[in-house]
Amino acid sequence: MNTLIAILWKDLVSEWRSRDRIVAMALFSFLVVIVLHFALPDVDPIAVRRLAPGLLWVAYVFAALLGFNRAFALELENEALSALAMAPADRGFVFLGKAAANFVLLAVVQFATAVVFGLAFALDLVPLAAPLAGVVALGSIGLCSVGTLFSAVAVRTRYREVMLPLLILPLLVPVLLGAVSATAALLQGEGVPPESVQLLVVTDAVFLIVSFLGFDYVLDE
Amino acid sequence: MTALPDSAIDRGARALVLPTGILLAVLAGAWLAAVARAPIDVGQGVIAKIVFVHPPLAFAAYAGFVLTAIGGALFLWRGDEAWDRLARAAAEVGVLFCTLVIVTGPIWAKGAWGRWWSWDPRLTITLLLWFVYLAYLLLRSFTEGSERAARFAAVYGIAGLAVIPLNYFAIEMAGGRSMHPENLQRGSLGAGMGWPFALGALVCLVAFTHLLARRIEVEALRGALAEQLEGAPRGLENG
Repeated sequence: MNTLIAILWKDLVSEWRSRDRIVAMALFSFLVVIVLHFALPDVDPIAVRRLAPGLLWVAYVFAALLGFNRAFALELENEALSALAMAPADRGFVFLGKAAANFVLLAVVQFATAVVFGLAFALDLVPLAAPLAGVVALGSIGLCSVGTLFSAVAVRTRYREVMLPLLILPLLVPVLLGAVSATAALLQGEGVPPESVQLLVVTDAVFLIVSFLGFDYVLDE
Repeated sequence: MTALPDSAIDRGARALVLPTGILLAVLAGAWLAAVARAPIDVGQGVIAKIVFVHPPLAFAAYAGFVLTAIGGALFLWRGDEAWDRLARAAAEVGVLFCTLVIVTGPIWAKGAWGRWWSWDPRLTITLLLWFVYLAYLLLRSFTEGSERAARFAAVYGIAGLAVIPLNYFAIEMAGGRSMHPENLQRGSLGAGMGWPFALGALVCLVAFTHLLARRIEVEALRGALAEQLEGAPRGLENG
């Protein structure tokens, strides 16, 4: 448990000092929103509500991919990754610390992106803020768990920036389907459908368990 | 001369190559004859004969993916490289069969449903599996060091299998209505179709086993060769 907090704290402090990863992620996801806006000119407000959940999650996933790619690239400098592997701590908790740091960074970016998205598409998300934050958090747990596990893998392959999306996008389908359907229901003014929440919770649990156990094998001695 | 690996998997693979090859040649002939003589479907016409090819290919593809995950898990647990050879061979052969499934499916779909593609749950899951296992093979070839590649791939193979039930649930929930027959109950195939179908399934499984055994053998030979080259004096590698 202490390992988790130590890693989380280390990642957040080093990010706070440089702020390069979070700025890059946020700028990139703003650009995705802008590109989406120009890709869909003249959409009427009803169509916006129908399309928004998918578009918003596309921006989130792209921003997450960008951020995850850097999460372990930083650890390669000065062999910090080997030090992490050799640390006398359960590697599962090292994983949880890294994943939690990714989750916090992504949450900040997601909030900023939602604001920009609301402005760009003239969509009032403020009344939905609380339930939307819940849905986004549930989706992000699954996203961050497989994302963190396989970014530790991808960072030590050739073409690492390409490898990560190829590895995790096909695994993220259940997370995306659950998150998009829940977000869509919220935007239509309905409550969050219980089967979406169920799907997200089960997927989060499976991904967390697989990543917690799998992380033991992806660090080199 | 470096000895070839002598685990139960390698010995089994070597022993299986010849008998499965002969069996395959015999069965394939019988299968072709049975398919040719099978009655033509009243509703769909001759295109329905693809039923003797498409589902049997899918059985082999799924067998490959399950074996990949099992081989990977046993490699992580036991650390024996033979399990990794099994996982890798199963993934490659599985991708081959899965590609054939994805190619034969639309041919049938165009004839039976009137369009090449539909986002039917079973179709979508097969497509996603194909992506997962292609990424698995890419991951292996982009990772340096065979032991590390084996570890990475094993973790990914297990994650790829764990995601199947989640996908199924997710796609059902998203309202993808199934256009595939729910299951193959007794009698769901028309009269005279049972035999060619059973033969097709058998041919695909024997072909799968044969290719798998060959692939494991190749991998073992490659490993032995690499070991031999490592021990050889400099210069021999190039000459």
